[in-house]
Amino acid sequence: MRRASQRHGSAGRIRGSRPGAACGGILALVLVAAACSTAVTGSAASARTPVSGGIVTYALPANTTPNYIFPFTSGAYFSQVNENQLQFLLYRPLYWYGEGKLPYLNTQLSLAYPPVYHDQVVTIRLKPYRWSDGEPVDANDVLFWMHMLQAVGATDYGAYVRGEFPDNVQSVRKVSSTEVQMVIKGPYSRIWFTYNELSQITPMPKAWDRTGPNTPSDCTDQVSDCAAVFSYLNGQAANPETWVSSPLWRVVDGPWRLTGYNSEGKLTFQLNAKYSGPLPKDHISEFQELPFTSEEAEYNVLQAGGGQPLDVGYLPTVDAPVPPPGAPVGQNPVAGYQLQALYEWGISYIPYNFNPADAQAGVVRQQYIRQALQLLVNQAAVIQGPLHGYGQVSTGPVGDSPRTSYLSPKSKQGDPFPYNPAQARSLLSSHGWNVDPAGVTSCESPGRGPGECGPGIRAGTQLSLKLVYATGNAWVESALLQLKSNASQLGIDISLTGKTFDDVLAEVFGGCGTPTAFKVCPWQLADWGQGWSYVPDFLPTGDELFKTGAASNIGQYSNHTNDALIADTLRSSSLRAMWTWQDYLTQQLPVMLQPLAPAALVESIGTLHIGVQSPTLVMTPEDWYYVR
Amino acid sequence: MIAYLVRRIAQAAAALAGVSMIVFASFWLLPGGPRSAILGGPLSAGRLSALRRDYGLGRPVVVQYLSWLGQVLHGNLGFSYVRGQSVGSLLASSLPRTLALTLTATVIAAAVAIPAGLAQAARRDSLTDRVLRGLSYVGYGMPSFLLGSILILVFAVRLHIFGAEGPQAPGIAGVLTDWQDLTLPVLTLTVLTVALFARYVRSSALESLAQDYVRTARGAGADSRQVLTRHVLPNSLIPVLTLAGLSLPRILGGALVVESLFNIQGMGWQIWQAAQRHDFPVLLGFTLVIGAGTVAGSLLADLGYAIADPRVRYTRS
Repeated sequence: MRRASQRHGSAGRIRGSRPGAACGGILALVLVAAACSTAVTGSAASARTPVSGGIVTYALPANTTPNYIFPFTSGAYFSQVNENQLQFLLYRPLYWYGEGKLPYLNTQLSLAYPPVYHDQVVTIRLKPYRWSDGEPVDANDVLFWMHMLQAVGATDYGAYVRGEFPDNVQSVRKVSSTEVQMVIKGPYSRIWFTYNELSQITPMPKAWDRTGPNTPSDCTDQVSDCAAVFSYLNGQAANPETWVSSPLWRVVDGPWRLTGYNSEGKLTFQLNAKYSGPLPKDHISEFQELPFTSEEAEYNVLQAGGGQPLDVGYLPTVDAPVPPPGAPVGQNPVAGYQLQALYEWGISYIPYNFNPADAQAGVVRQQYIRQALQLLVNQAAVIQGPLHGYGQVSTGPVGDSPRTSYLSPKSKQGDPFPYNPAQARSLLSSHGWNVDPAGVTSCESPGRGPGECGPGIRAGTQLSLKLVYATGNAWVESALLQLKSNASQLGIDISLTGKTFDDVLAEVFGGCGTPTAFKVCPWQLADWGQGWSYVPDFLPTGDELFKTGAASNIGQYSNHTNDALIADTLRSSSLRAMWTWQDYLTQQLPVMLQPLAPAALVESIGTLHIGVQSPTLVMTPEDWYYVR
Repeated sequence: MIAYLVRRIAQAAAALAGVSMIVFASFWLLPGGPRSAILGGPLSAGRLSALRRDYGLGRPVVVQYLSWLGQVLHGNLGFSYVRGQSVGSLLASSLPRTLALTLTATVIAAAVAIPAGLAQAARRDSLTDRVLRGLSYVGYGMPSFLLGSILILVFAVRLHIFGAEGPQAPGIAGVLTDWQDLTLPVLTLTVLTVALFARYVRSSALESLAQDYVRTARGAGADSRQVLTRHVLPNSLIPVLTLAGLSLPRILGGALVVESLFNIQGMGWQIWQAAQRHDFPVLLGFTLVIGAGTVAGSLLADLGYAIADPRVRYTRS
């Protein structure tokens, strides 16, 4: 979830992320990582002579600017734009994920060597990195972060999940200045613990261990000191106007240091001359992030050039050229730039509301009805239509793009529920529904037996569902209208209600109560325009999303078999456990799957080489260089 | 005149007090009350103490209002926890941009619309009048995003004469001196405003031309130019003053569509963002400033009436 907070998580997490939105916000998360994404495809950039130096201007997502600098991010500010466009440029996480085009552990860019497991003891050995103030990045810095998590994680850490990190850690200690040892509470899968727990750690410098400008503290050694330290740092971190001048944030171990900020949200980074990590011989020297009020404004600047032209930006989907068959992108409408589609490591879906207090809970709980509805989602048409040919068909709970070893052989065969209204009709008819395309389909054979509608559905119950969605995302609105139209062919009434991104999130997170205290809430389906990002929990095990009672299990789906299979994925390092779980859940359809839209259609100027993109949306502009 | 002036200032002061009370009451009317409205998230001890300090929560309502008003009068309009910035700072960065955009457009529009409206009235139903009327219909009916997009496509993307985005330099001086980037957003707003103003001026001038004092002036030997400039123009300006007064909320509140299209973080865009994110301190702070500005502007417009038309002050006194 975590980074998913942008996509979702608790309501508090989302608010901070807008972001937006989002694509809200939010739409937000989407575009951002533009840079990281833009792989130069055999272009002119790779054929010419690299030169050192130069400034790169980079378009931030529309209506989104970083607003929190402290890499131990509180729920209100947990977002991808804060992490990828600010924090990770300055402060590097202990383990870096994104190996080329795959979401795997990148051992070269990690601050530590791969963890070593002996039963339930995990040993982390640090590489010889240094902070910009000359201090080594050492075991104390890891302990500082861990102690803070133990002290305030449950209340103030945006990626906290009850029962997981650090609840599943029995003890943590410093073995030497370069070695930390943890004892974990259960026989967890090594890959899960590395990819979903250790992935969250960002070492913090001693210079931050204080409760005021002149009052040092000792969170590094005393967990009890950490709450006050967090309170101080949290207050400082949320005030962007002081970021550049504050001595706190000047101590960095990443390749960049923040040298400029203005009230519009423009950020200027200059290369950290004391960076101790790997750096190519030729690279840019300054990186500027520019804010935009809308995608149209960004696209206008991208096209027109002008006083401050964009080196890396994005193409709004509505302006995207349809790619010819087999090609990843179409003819680039912006001369002199290279176009690349970036897909995020995640899934795209619309959750059902399984809340037993809901009037249609009986309907939503029927697996055959969910399968019938999925058969009415024409993913291919959405990709070809509103998404202009950019998008990936979603097949189940594990991301389909990029193709990883996590995807089961069965999922790799393709969409198990391709658009098929006839099959959907047959499913409904064979379960006692009177399919009435001219009206509203209703149950005429109530009961639990074969050929009957199923438990909780009374005679005459109409197949009518309310779907609340976040407005402002053109392709989502088109896709939903298409779904409504497809459903109406079988007399299924889907009523659409558009709200702002924040309002949808507020309604779906907490609006239906808790797994033990349900409240009636006015939706059976909810679409905030995005889905779930498997960042910074990079292993797609589903424990945060589909397990009974999980905080991000918005629809309150509950299935004992699913819970048991998820538990297996957390214990077993074998891929077979994950395949078994995903093949089971793919048939259960706890959510309605929709196509995965590109996170960004990245445009980079032809004279700039920006390396291979990462589906984790992290970016490494220190590797970028101009060519002559 | 002095009595009229005093009375209008007193009325404006009362209106300002009313605006401040309505804005203050909004904190309590919003879902979740003032705490959730202002903070928009979980309360930390630091935030809670800041809230108590700024808004006097926990004390009688009158005391809270006076406490808040005291903060406002000292320039503290609150803090946006969504943006991590003070409302005053957001205002300081967005108001100059908006004023540079809307005020410039309004002034240029008035400078173009007044002579154009007079010319139309003087040559009623002539080819000039018909052409200008047609153009004003087109300008009046054209959505600003369409006009702005056309201007960007032609002058920024194709011809590279002007910038595709508004000025990004800080401060009003930086904005006003960046004419290359300011031209297209101002032009977009100007075209729309000219269309509106010109119709008012034409209609008002036609009415003036039919008055007895115009016939008298003509009978006394005044030529057409003298009639228009000395007799028709002053009387035709009165509705323009009204229109200018009515434009004040727009001038201060910004032009959301144009700002969004031209990447200008002005008042309109900020308010829209705040509404989307439930950033109530920004919404309320900006509303207060726009309300106060509108009241002050209306006062100036009324004073302008009194100067332009003595009947106003005599009638009201």
